[in-house]
Amino acid sequence: MSARKKLSTLFSRYAVVIIFVIITLAAIPPSGLSVKYILQEIITRLGRNSFLVLALLLPIYAGMGLNFGMTLGAMAGQIGLIFAVNYGIANWQGLVFALLVGLPISVFLGWICGLVMNRAKGREMVTGYILAFFINGIYQFFVMYMLGSVIPMGNKAIVLSRGYGIRNTLNLESVRQSLDNIVMLRVGGFSIPLVTFVVIALLCVFVVWFKRTKLGQDMRAVGQDMAVAEAAGIPVEKTRIVAIIISTVLACAGQIIFLQNMGNLATYNAHDQTGFFAVAAILVGGASVTHASIANVFVGVMLLHAMFVVSPLAGQKLFGSAMIGEYFRQFIGYGVIALSLVLYAWRTRKAAADARLGLRGSQASPAKRSGETAVGNGGQA
Amino acid sequence: MNGTANAKGASNTKTRRLLIRGALLIVYVLIMVLMIYSGRRHTILIDNKDAADGSYRAINGMEVSIDKQESSEYYPGDRDKALVQGQKHTIKINIFDDNSTIEKTFTVPLWSDMMIISVPKLVAGIEPWIEPFTVAEQIEEAQESGPPAGEMSFQSLGDVPGGAEGAPPPSP
Repeated sequence: MSARKKLSTLFSRYAVVIIFVIITLAAIPPSGLSVKYILQEIITRLGRNSFLVLALLLPIYAGMGLNFGMTLGAMAGQIGLIFAVNYGIANWQGLVFALLVGLPISVFLGWICGLVMNRAKGREMVTGYILAFFINGIYQFFVMYMLGSVIPMGNKAIVLSRGYGIRNTLNLESVRQSLDNIVMLRVGGFSIPLVTFVVIALLCVFVVWFKRTKLGQDMRAVGQDMAVAEAAGIPVEKTRIVAIIISTVLACAGQIIFLQNMGNLATYNAHDQTGFFAVAAILVGGASVTHASIANVFVGVMLLHAMFVVSPLAGQKLFGSAMIGEYFRQFIGYGVIALSLVLYAWRTRKAAADARLGLRGSQASPAKRSGETAVGNGGQA
Repeated sequence: MNGTANAKGASNTKTRRLLIRGALLIVYVLIMVLMIYSGRRHTILIDNKDAADGSYRAINGMEVSIDKQESSEYYPGDRDKALVQGQKHTIKINIFDDNSTIEKTFTVPLWSDMMIISVPKLVAGIEPWIEPFTVAEQIEEAQESGPPAGEMSFQSLGDVPGGAEGAPPPSP
């Protein structure tokens, strides 16, 4: 392979990361923010978001693409938190309680999501996205009507004045940063929420361990080729459902960690952008629809959130309006997802074309037969 | 013969699996209950006021702390709140007049959101010095026994000597 082709391959593989690094670095000077401030913000946001982004890994291993259905898990986590606040359970106990309430809900929703996705093989991402809208309707009905009318809510402070339904914004003061503040390390002027990072590290260990288990190997086999995996006796559909259930449960826990850090809950729309930002983060980290690693998660969260920190102020300085930075943030998020999908489709087509070319070349001269026929399980969209 | 043994083995496995799942479910519920018991937050109102019937008088000056929370100074007519988590707590009172210290342990009922501790009652040894406190009930009582609507506010309850005049103590 020539140096030029190598460079082209490298650029096409890491195009999103490279573009993002350039934009972020360019935005830092006009923002006027100190490096220390940006680093502290990145540390905080790593603790806040990494768990959610890690929840995307298993479905990617199972060949189901980026799980936009993780929003379902986020909704389950929010329901758990609503109950924790309703019963007045504070601190980390409130978080554990919220998780215990959210867990069965997320398992159930994950199972439904898995069943639906098994009926939409090859179109999992768009299916997950639309399914999230559908379940969002049920969530709205549950929170807006059922809570307080069918399910009694003792804490009147969180119920709408009409007597049922939960208020638009919920103050999570009782559980605010309760995980982060268990042990807050102060190193070199930086505050590091140690326990949150330990929890994230444990999840990373779980992911590494899980990949080596029989189920993890099955998932990877299913992700590479469903037909071959089926022929090898792997229960493809069951494996895919398990991948989605685990992802949904992790998203439930991730949303609880996210919200405890934020300290308040926008009851009806906090989950709307969960999947979108998690997906954007992992893609910015260099992952694709078919390949992702733990490193992609952390690189992505750091880069995306560095951009989120600097863009409003850079927008303010450059264009005289912080809103420009906010729009830029949205534009970057959606743009990254679109760019990644386009690049993925382009790479898949290119690999197929190369494979065809290689085949023709080998027919013409068998000596030229090469092994460049790597084609992923294309068709994901 | 072999078939019967297999069926018995399968039945045993099924029973064992059912037992394990049942046990896990019980553990799950127990953890939830434990979280409620250890994590439930209560508001404790610390009150230093005279009795409406004159049976006890507010303490001239004192420092009160609950558990290991920061202590606060209280003078006659003062009322403040502390947030506590769990059921069992200790209140420590340091009276300025004689520099004596009183320490008492109390239990908050699990489903009670707000309790009121009358420190003068506690110091005088009058039971019950800790009672449930419901804001709605207080407002209701104040409206029943207070001056005409418009002149009464919940906040003013604490400022009026004896609270809501003639109002009975909040019922548990």
